[in-house]
Amino acid sequence: MIEVSHLTKRYRDRVAVDDLSFTVQKGEVIGFLGPNGAGKSTTMRVLTGFIPATSGTAKVAGFDVFEEPLEVKRRVGYLPEYPPVYADMTPRAYLAFCAGLKKLPRPGVKAEIDRVAQLARIEDVLDRVTGNLSKGFRQRVGLAQALLGDPEVLILDEPTVGLDPLQIREVRELVKTLAGKHTLILSTHILSEVAMTCQKVLVIHEGKLVDFDTLDGLIAKHLPGRRVTLDDIAFLEEIYSKLVLPGGLQAASPVAPTSAASAATGGR
Amino acid sequence: MRGALAIAKKELNVYFTTPIAYVAFMVMAFFAAQFFTGSVEAYRNFVTRMSPYEGQQMLEQLNLTDVVVSRLFASVGVFIVISAPFLSMRLVAEEKRARTFELLMTSPVRPFEIVAGKYLAALVVMAVSIAIVAAFPVILSLFARGAKGGSAVEWQTVGTGLLGLFLLGAMCMAVGLFVSSLTESVIVAALVSLIVLLALWVVTIFAVAGEGPLRDLARGMSSSEHLMAFLQGRIELKDVVYYLSFVALGLWLTDRAIEGHRWA
Repeated sequence: MIEVSHLTKRYRDRVAVDDLSFTVQKGEVIGFLGPNGAGKSTTMRVLTGFIPATSGTAKVAGFDVFEEPLEVKRRVGYLPEYPPVYADMTPRAYLAFCAGLKKLPRPGVKAEIDRVAQLARIEDVLDRVTGNLSKGFRQRVGLAQALLGDPEVLILDEPTVGLDPLQIREVRELVKTLAGKHTLILSTHILSEVAMTCQKVLVIHEGKLVDFDTLDGLIAKHLPGRRVTLDDIAFLEEIYSKLVLPGGLQAASPVAPTSAASAATGGR
Repeated sequence: MRGALAIAKKELNVYFTTPIAYVAFMVMAFFAAQFFTGSVEAYRNFVTRMSPYEGQQMLEQLNLTDVVVSRLFASVGVFIVISAPFLSMRLVAEEKRARTFELLMTSPVRPFEIVAGKYLAALVVMAVSIAIVAAFPVILSLFARGAKGGSAVEWQTVGTGLLGLFLLGAMCMAVGLFVSSLTESVIVAALVSLIVLLALWVVTIFAVAGEGPLRDLARGMSSSEHLMAFLQGRIELKDVVYYLSFVALGLWLTDRAIEGHRWA
């Protein structure tokens, strides 16, 4: 469904994404993992056609993102890092606008707005002005926008930022219900989220792919012989720090989440 | 084109739920009213001074439309030039600042649909603004009678005048839209388009002092000079072409500027 090959994105002299290649099958849920500035958002922006790649190609549903952007955009629902909502509009008007942008058939728009509002749990705030809503609600309005038209591919950039723990759980449930029918890529640095929702984990660090495997595969590879259950997320912290910190846990670099790493070692 | 209509509708929604459009309308109505009463007063003074003397024949040739309405329209031109940058400033710049530009660019719409939608909404607002001004000749026709009992106002001249003002407004909005697409700051967008449009409006002063090719160039470039024929009741191809070229250029450059984001 999504094929990325040798993708490189350079901003002047800074390399944001460096020779990234991976393939996502239809119906898979992929967790994008990496420290801040690892290139997660950049990769997602390239995949959605917002910015071009410096070199390499990205294909979604068989269409090249750069050559046939409209075909790709028609099939992708995208929640950017900052929810793209208009402060002066109500969520209902906003979703109607997005339905127009996505050219959804007009008669079904009302029902579709109700459907996504229910999925994102914003039914109660549909007629309030977005500018007065809390960060969590704005985030969910953005999420509702991504779900409009039931696109085959969903690309969610940190969908749970700004949500309270209960809402995070709701989004997690939502992601689970979407899995199978939709191909999902979601980025996060909340590890428990990855452990609970994603089938595969893609770890990038400084723009490079460090590992891409199923959770079981990661466990077998990096914690051989360890018995873990998916409810226990400490194992993921350990794997994460192994992959992202050069030389394992000893060499702490300033970008690395040292607290998570030390918590992991402390726990074991 | 469905995308363009959705964008136009949203822009109009924003225009009429935020104060900008209303402020622009109020400024337009206020100053147009000032100029209107001023011109009517000047006309009245002139007539009362002329009447006792031999002016009877002159009075019959005096044209209410030319003296009052055309003068009003010429003054309104300046306010279109001044208000347009404030109406166009946030069209694209605000989308970039609020990061909603990412939504537009990742939706299945072509860059030109974005440009067309935004420009359409801008034109509607401009048309409303000019319709406010059109109220003054209507008021005049309600209270004045022609020398031979006909209408005191020449509606053809009023019509061409309004068309001229609309073309001027369309040009200003196209320039403003392009400038807005180049920056993330609405203030910068407003100031830059104001400078460009005012410069085009007043460049005709070089025609007064200069001579030869410089004079022709200044007159040819000036947006106020091209309005004159419309105000006198004439539609000249060169004037229509002047305004429409700016519209076409502005829209094309905006389209390129937005498409350019996909490349860099």
